[in-house]
Amino acid sequence: MDFALSEEQRMFRDMFRNFAAKEVAPRAEEIDHAETLPKEMLRKAADQGFLGATIPEEYYGAALDNISYTLLLENLAASCASLAVTVAAHVSQVAMSILDFGTDAQKEEWLPALAGGEAIGAFALSEPDAGSDMLALETRARYEGDEVVLDGVKTWVTNGELAGLFLVFARGPQGMDAYLVPRDTPGLTVGYREPTLGLRSAYFNTIYLEGCRVPQNYRLGSPGEGEAIASRAVDRMAVALAAVGLGLAESSVDVAAQYSTERVQFGVPIGKKQAIQNYIANAYTETEALRYLVYRTAWLIDQGEDFSVEASAVKAFGARIARSVTNWMLQVLGGYGYMEDYPMARKYRDARVLGIIGGPTEVHTFRIARYILLQKDLEIVPRHQ
Amino acid sequence: MDFTFSPEHQALRRMIREFAETEIAPIAAELDREHKVPLEIMRKLGEIGLLGVCFPQEYGGMGAGETGYCILMEELGRVCANTAVNVGAHIGIGAMCIHLDGTPEQKRKYLTPLARGEKIAAFGLTESNAGSDAANVRTRAVREGDSWILDGGKVYITNGGYADIITVMAVTDPALGARGGITAFVVETDSPGFKVAREEDKMGIRGSSTAELVFEELRVPHENVLGKVGEGFVTFMKSLDMGRLTLGAACLGGAQQLLEQSVYWAKTRRQFGEELAHKQAVQWMIANMATEIEALRSLVYRVAWLVDTGQPFTQLAAMCKLYGSEVLSRAVDMAIQIHGGLGLSRDFPIERAFRDARINEIFEGTNEVQRIVIASNIFREFGVRIRP
Amino acid sequence: MRIVVILGRMLDPRGIVVNPRAGRIFVNREEYILQPADRCALEAALRIKEAVGAEVVALPRTFLPDDDVLRQALAIGADRAIYIAGKPVALPDDGLMARVLLAAVERLGEVDLILTGATTMDTGQGQLGPRLAEALGWPQIVGAWTAEVADGSVRAVRQDGGGYVWVEASLPAVVTFVPGALKLRYPDGRRLINIYKGVGEIAAALERWEAKDLVAPEALTPLLERRGQDFPPERERGVRLSGSPEEIARAAADALRSRLPR
Repeated sequence: MDFALSEEQRMFRDMFRNFAAKEVAPRAEEIDHAETLPKEMLRKAADQGFLGATIPEEYYGAALDNISYTLLLENLAASCASLAVTVAAHVSQVAMSILDFGTDAQKEEWLPALAGGEAIGAFALSEPDAGSDMLALETRARYEGDEVVLDGVKTWVTNGELAGLFLVFARGPQGMDAYLVPRDTPGLTVGYREPTLGLRSAYFNTIYLEGCRVPQNYRLGSPGEGEAIASRAVDRMAVALAAVGLGLAESSVDVAAQYSTERVQFGVPIGKKQAIQNYIANAYTETEALRYLVYRTAWLIDQGEDFSVEASAVKAFGARIARSVTNWMLQVLGGYGYMEDYPMARKYRDARVLGIIGGPTEVHTFRIARYILLQKDLEIVPRHQ
Repeated sequence: MDFTFSPEHQALRRMIREFAETEIAPIAAELDREHKVPLEIMRKLGEIGLLGVCFPQEYGGMGAGETGYCILMEELGRVCANTAVNVGAHIGIGAMCIHLDGTPEQKRKYLTPLARGEKIAAFGLTESNAGSDAANVRTRAVREGDSWILDGGKVYITNGGYADIITVMAVTDPALGARGGITAFVVETDSPGFKVAREEDKMGIRGSSTAELVFEELRVPHENVLGKVGEGFVTFMKSLDMGRLTLGAACLGGAQQLLEQSVYWAKTRRQFGEELAHKQAVQWMIANMATEIEALRSLVYRVAWLVDTGQPFTQLAAMCKLYGSEVLSRAVDMAIQIHGGLGLSRDFPIERAFRDARINEIFEGTNEVQRIVIASNIFREFGVRIRP
Repeated sequence: MRIVVILGRMLDPRGIVVNPRAGRIFVNREEYILQPADRCALEAALRIKEAVGAEVVALPRTFLPDDDVLRQALAIGADRAIYIAGKPVALPDDGLMARVLLAAVERLGEVDLILTGATTMDTGQGQLGPRLAEALGWPQIVGAWTAEVADGSVRAVRQDGGGYVWVEASLPAVVTFVPGALKLRYPDGRRLINIYKGVGEIAAALERWEAKDLVAPEALTPLLERRGQDFPPERERGVRLSGSPEEIARAAADALRSRLPR
């Protein structure tokens, strides 16, 4: 066992931290209130190679290992969780799906564009009546000669408005398929943007597919492989969101600890009060537990091992810790924590969203239980129990 | 023991619920979205007597007691946290000081228009370095003939941006500190020297005014001293006790509404081939919410009964605030989880409830301060004196 | 001028849950509210009072187990309310109540206007106003939206087909209101507390009369009795058509044509 970051990883971490502090943090409040993610901020992230984080060098990616990628999301999230989630959806859900399941032609067509930020990736799985329940998907893929016609509605499409490329899941004749649908495809319309509690600078849109026609060779993987592609993407995104949660938690501890040295009540800095010490100490402990669970899961991905259960565990845990730590740290700030001109309220709102997006905690909990009980020869299904 | 509401309180609840659902619920989302203070609602509440719910009839009140006031706050909390906060600051702490320690003349002059909603009150305690630590007040009042001259400022004053009358705590004798050196004044906000410096941009309760106030050589006549000179701290603490109880009542209403919304959604939304109501994870959340809400309801109305029957209630009022705010926070957390994506969207009321709920753990004395109060009272019974 | 307003109560629909699958209605909270149309009548009476001055007297539209309806009327603004105690009857019976209320109006004396709801929202009773007008020999306006009094007559707006018409009747008269016609006022908090506590001047405004003192015992025999229930024959079920859109359209058209009257 070796818990130390490599020389290279430490160098990356410092670079990510500097970027976030210099380019992101000063504008985090402003862009949250405006509910936009400025193009130039994404441009700068692309110039640093962040948008091609784990894409191999042959496709002009930064070829980061997964621990370094975790460090990237963690440090971006410490300043602006919306930006981190945008990058995570782009890299973990879209680019990596193409890398894992795409043909050489698809990889060559899309990965350099994604890595360079010329196209942002969006992941279109959820539907109005099928959030976590993949079997209930109603979007249809009809094969017509060399073409496929897509019809349906997708909701909560992360990066919807920003995207140049959509990874769309639809039910075809042989089960669920996945398609790469460029933004300008006729029949694809980007619709309503969800006004969200948190992650207000990220984009969650409804998209409409009406007779949306793409060539057969835009299908990712073989017919019916969509479910495998989706669950793999969900797994990767789960780890990425846990890294976002880690960034939110550790930066909240930092903000609150600093404040507790400055705020004087009853004649002393509140940091001298045991109740405040407890909040900070518990928050730190939970954050560190999360940190090593996230890093370990990232390490597992690098080892090429299956990480589905670990992904669910770290997602459920990460969302919980981000929620409880931001909650306590907001309490340390008291009234200041409730004001929108300080970062704490934003972190608190952002953290709550992590418990729902990327599959609600209950779904990940189910996946963990299913795995454990299967070891004991009990098979469970999510329906009717 | 009798746990039923009296006929007048049942009738009062029916009246308030009708008003709240007809007049307030339809605009609650807009108040939040547009950062609009519901002044028109306050005026209408005053017209039908509700802003004087717990004040005596001889001063324009309704005479429905603290129980009636808790019913009002519960029903307002159900439909609109903003209205509950504005009304709570107006009745529960702002006007309450005058009700508790005002002279008959002060009550006639100030409490009557407040009870009728012709004027709006605020409570001026918090300063940038005196929040939970109420004894650390810096605003200074100096006697000059028949008047006092106030200099200083207050922060985070609910209703501060538009109140007509503010009960302000100021230091009259720095040597004596909190006990003996602080005096409560009734300040009319159209007096020269009174200024609203800024409005805060808050995560929630965005349909309420949270203002920073500045006093520069603000002249207050001596007849506007509330209670005795030097005893302002006691006046304010007594008002805060009342405020804490009714804050718990507002949380009760909010949590009850979230429970009902969650039950509705759980029986409507289908996932994995069945309604969420059939998922044990969801059943557990509903059961926990409901149990806590019932415990809170019992606590709130028991304390209201203590107040109405003239018994000591400080300790239990602190528990109401502490427990109420935490029950509401847990309820809203579970409501979001049950609603999923819908719970995160500003198009639906759960998201607003999440942002609104959080302030309850902070204002009117943070929950940490409530715990200090509760622990101190318990230790005192055993001869241990706790200093915060 | 004296205005009599007749008010009833109904279960608060917010306390009721309908389960269509079980074909049942569950009463979760047994709480009563004023009949909405009756409350409009009270609102109209109070507006007339404010315009021209009047004494508003509230009477119940059925024999009720308690006087809550009358207390509510007083809280909202009625000057006087009379609870008429009588043995509740099994079925809503406007005929029986019209006899009792006729006697009550005669005992009150000098009544210029009787206002009530055109229909109850739960059981759909609509005969009370017309029957009273008939018994008193007064003109009546049924289904009014507004009413105002001037120069010894009452003018009301009522719906007539797609439009609205003014209708005028000389006093004394009976006017019935449709629910939702007027923006209602809320009770006054202080009146409400006092009348329910039974304190202050308002407590004396609530009186109690006995039905048996108003009418002869035989007049209290219900006009209605339940003799059983009979349902219409079950409707023919629809059919599900399948095939191409053209085939479905043709089949649907044929089916409709076969049902046209020859």
